[in-house]
Amino acid sequence: MLRSRIAAANPERTIVLRGVIRPGVLVEENEIVTAITIPDCFRLRWLDATVDAANALPVATLTCEVLYESAGTPGNAGLDRGRLLTQMDAELTAAVNATPQQTAKQSYAALANGGIATPLTTNIWWSNVALGPLIVKADRIGRVAKIVVMSCEEAGEL
Amino acid sequence: MLRIPAPAVANSDGEQLGVATPQFQDVDLAPVAFRKLEKTTMLLVSGNAVQSIVGSLQFNSAEVLFETAVGVVVDSVLYTILSNTASTSDGKTYVYSLELRAPDR
Repeated sequence: MLRSRIAAANPERTIVLRGVIRPGVLVEENEIVTAITIPDCFRLRWLDATVDAANALPVATLTCEVLYESAGTPGNAGLDRGRLLTQMDAELTAAVNATPQQTAKQSYAALANGGIATPLTTNIWWSNVALGPLIVKADRIGRVAKIVVMSCEEAGEL
Repeated sequence: MLRIPAPAVANSDGEQLGVATPQFQDVDLAPVAFRKLEKTTMLLVSGNAVQSIVGSLQFNSAEVLFETAVGVVVDSVLYTILSNTASTSDGKTYVYSLELRAPDR
């Protein structure tokens, strides 16, 4: 959902990973470990997870960290990095805070065997995005944002 | 050995979600020389050897090759490439310097 909304809002926000152009959203743990941090894209990282078993369906709560940074454009000698980061703030905020802040939950497990995603019976929903303070690096500026994501654990799920 | 992932599958939700993993191939990297640094290791690679790999695997440049690579395998240990630097003379690169970081143990 986040990837689709980001891609729809700014089709030019793309990255090249392993020779393929794709929307500028990636989950760090799903990609090859590298010392190179790709700028001008959103990198997702899953942090703490809790499960509240007090309900008929246990509610899982996960914190998603979104890291992003920009060095500006070479043609502007990086002097536009503040504007580009502000644009990323706006894209992320619009994508996360747009209604509905929920979507039907799907199981992608079958993709490992060449199958297709199958819809589950409950939804996944999330909080508004909380933007962190500005992070200044050598030639880049960045930010870390957090989103709380929740869903019901259905039968058969971990 | 330079470990390189196979090209990604376009529009593959499985790969982007980490459900499907790419194939990898190890490519001989020789001749090379090691130089021990304080916290990392420098691997000096023959410019001709790198240009040969760039040509045979159809990469745009050596820089793209090293940025795409998963790392360098030395005695079955995978080192991460932190940076790569080309040294040139008369317009020709004679050596590539790869700064490598050993895996956390």
